[in-house]
Amino acid sequence: MKYVIGIDLGTTNCALAYAALDSEPVGLFPVPQLVNPGEVREEALLPSSLFLPGALDFPAGSLALPWNAEPAEVVGRLAQKRGVENPGRLVSSAKSWLSHSGVDRTAAILPWSGAPGLQKVSPVEASRRYLEHLRTAWDFHRPDAPFTEQEVLVTVPASFDAVARELTLSAAEQTGCRNVTLLEEPQAAFYAWIERHPGWRERVAAGDLILVVDIGGGTTDLTLIAVTEREGELALERVAVGEHILLGGDNMDLALARAIERELAEKGARLDGLQIHALWHNCRVAKEKLLDPASKAAQEPVTILGKGAGLVGGTIRAALKRSILNAVLLDGFFPEVTSQDFPERRRRVGLQEIGLPYAADPAITKHLAQFLRRQDGSMAAPTHVLFNGGVLHARLLRERLLKVLNGWLATEGKTAVQALEGEDLMHAVARGAAYYGLARRGKGVRIRGGIARAYYVGIESAMPAVPGLPNPLKALTVAGFGMEEGTGASVPDREFALVVGEPAEFRFFSSTSRREDAVGTLIEELGPEIQEITPMEVHLPASEGAGQLVPVTFETVVTETGPLQPWCVARDGRRWKLEFNVRERIPA
Amino acid sequence: MSRISLAFRSFFAILFHGALPDALLTSLGLAHRAGSKPVPAPAAHSPSDGALQMLAILQRDARLIDFLMEDISSYSDDQVGAAVRSLHDQCRDSLQRYVQLAPVIDGVEGTHTKLASADPASVKLLGNVPPQPPPGGTLRHRGWRCAKIDLPAPGARHNFSIVAPAEVEIE
Repeated sequence: MKYVIGIDLGTTNCALAYAALDSEPVGLFPVPQLVNPGEVREEALLPSSLFLPGALDFPAGSLALPWNAEPAEVVGRLAQKRGVENPGRLVSSAKSWLSHSGVDRTAAILPWSGAPGLQKVSPVEASRRYLEHLRTAWDFHRPDAPFTEQEVLVTVPASFDAVARELTLSAAEQTGCRNVTLLEEPQAAFYAWIERHPGWRERVAAGDLILVVDIGGGTTDLTLIAVTEREGELALERVAVGEHILLGGDNMDLALARAIERELAEKGARLDGLQIHALWHNCRVAKEKLLDPASKAAQEPVTILGKGAGLVGGTIRAALKRSILNAVLLDGFFPEVTSQDFPERRRRVGLQEIGLPYAADPAITKHLAQFLRRQDGSMAAPTHVLFNGGVLHARLLRERLLKVLNGWLATEGKTAVQALEGEDLMHAVARGAAYYGLARRGKGVRIRGGIARAYYVGIESAMPAVPGLPNPLKALTVAGFGMEEGTGASVPDREFALVVGEPAEFRFFSSTSRREDAVGTLIEELGPEIQEITPMEVHLPASEGAGQLVPVTFETVVTETGPLQPWCVARDGRRWKLEFNVRERIPA
Repeated sequence: MSRISLAFRSFFAILFHGALPDALLTSLGLAHRAGSKPVPAPAAHSPSDGALQMLAILQRDARLIDFLMEDISSYSDDQVGAAVRSLHDQCRDSLQRYVQLAPVIDGVEGTHTKLASADPASVKLLGNVPPQPPPGGTLRHRGWRCAKIDLPAPGARHNFSIVAPAEVEIE
């Protein structure tokens, strides 16, 4: 093993950073990929796009990669480009599907609205193929240090539940890697900051609370890291993570495009699918120009060129006005709200359209307010904030977040936060992951954190059945928030009876906000802060004596590499691991 | 030849032409097997291929051909201006990606400059041109030279005569 490799397996882009074990600085690996048919180029990011080409999509031989003359699929920039023209064969946002418990994540379901007869792939398989592209590209450039023999760190959102983490890990292991560890993205972003600021100990003090706000293309991820003191040294502890929020830069660009599309429609201009996509792209460009701190322009032109040969004649002109930008971005996504304003929950309607469960409320500041509100009703008061993710390149948005946050802190009588300047917001997560790889080997500080959620097993109350009504459900805490890697916890005083030879299923729940529940605590009423995740099953082989009842207790182990493993333990010490049943579909 | 460059060139030579050229064989210390069949000549490349490829790139990335071939006489300056603004950005991005352009004489236009070369193809003299090359003059245009061109190598079966494919939407 010569290197540690950090991989940011993002919703819209992937990045790879690496560091040599003899403590070389962390470097970025430019990823060779097809950018046009017949053209391989190195780019700093690999778009998380997988295109499943048909026979008529590309000229013969134009998909050759330096290491594969005839790949069956396209990953990266070209996949993203061609996917605009032929969306039925494009797999994108696979990561959002990976964390969606409403579908079978190991079944070939993507592209969700795929062309008929297409050989679809599962969300796990799509993730594997992005990693596979990175693996083969790495091996081509460094044949002396094969990817699978290096230490690989793959980042996941802090809000990923145990199942999504396990699926990500299995995608990585399927590429042949023997040494994979998962790391939470906001932590990785913070490691990147530490890597860039060797004198970081001067910037923070024991008792400080650092809020990491990570707004990427598709997701928003919130984390709190506490600075503590341990044996005279500063130590870091991740103390809270937010819920999984499917809300990011893509939503913002789309909202701007929709605003302009409405304006155009009022003037009678109709756009087709490809033109809407061009509008989306041009809105992003115009937005970035307006958000540039040096820009004083009141508006930026947005042009959609005419179709076919009538380029000038068919050109549609519009403009992105600063007033619209402010209204859509600032008031829509970052409104000035109080620390009591929580996001609106989607009203449950009888039949919900299946698809990704996008956040119902786009107001990121409301999600932040909810995140900072502790279980006891008080507000966590961060002293520092670290921004990450492409969206927060925009100073306007960073300033708005600071203003809102400082307003809340002033109301609570607390001092204002200091912004920790992050750099290279697009690659920080990959860089930080590589740095963490070194840190684990004793070459830097580690953030202690443990698991990011509390986990519960559902227990039906022993009450007389009422026809038509399910028995009320209680939740037994089997793993508390913050349980550390390499430790285990058991609930010895609650026994369940398992029938040998028959599969037994447990309903499984988790919560990101209940940080006080200790193992063994029974929750009588399940509020909205406890969410059901994928059920688990265990099957005692018939060889153990079919039909017998075996009393077992619950034990939860968090392995060194991160995944959570629930076990059933019999009185005589025999153990059976529970497996997540991702094939089962949970009614919404 | 560096090992990486050698490996790369060998790989692509075999991929696209099915054999290694003599120069690579020499570097690798190999020789043609006596009596082996002559290596089939690679697909003939015409001198116009590069030009057509560049046109195809500018059309693909910026729709330059659509613009040049359109009759724009009936459109208002506003309409033309709106289209050109978007097209200009993309054309320049695309040009810069594949061709690195630099001035022939890196000076400020309107100021005195020494002549970089006596070759009329590189430096064109204007005004009262003496029979002997003068030491310098006033720079009127800095000129452009191609410092580097980096066009992708298309496959052996690539049809250069198609500058832009027709587009047909399947409903």
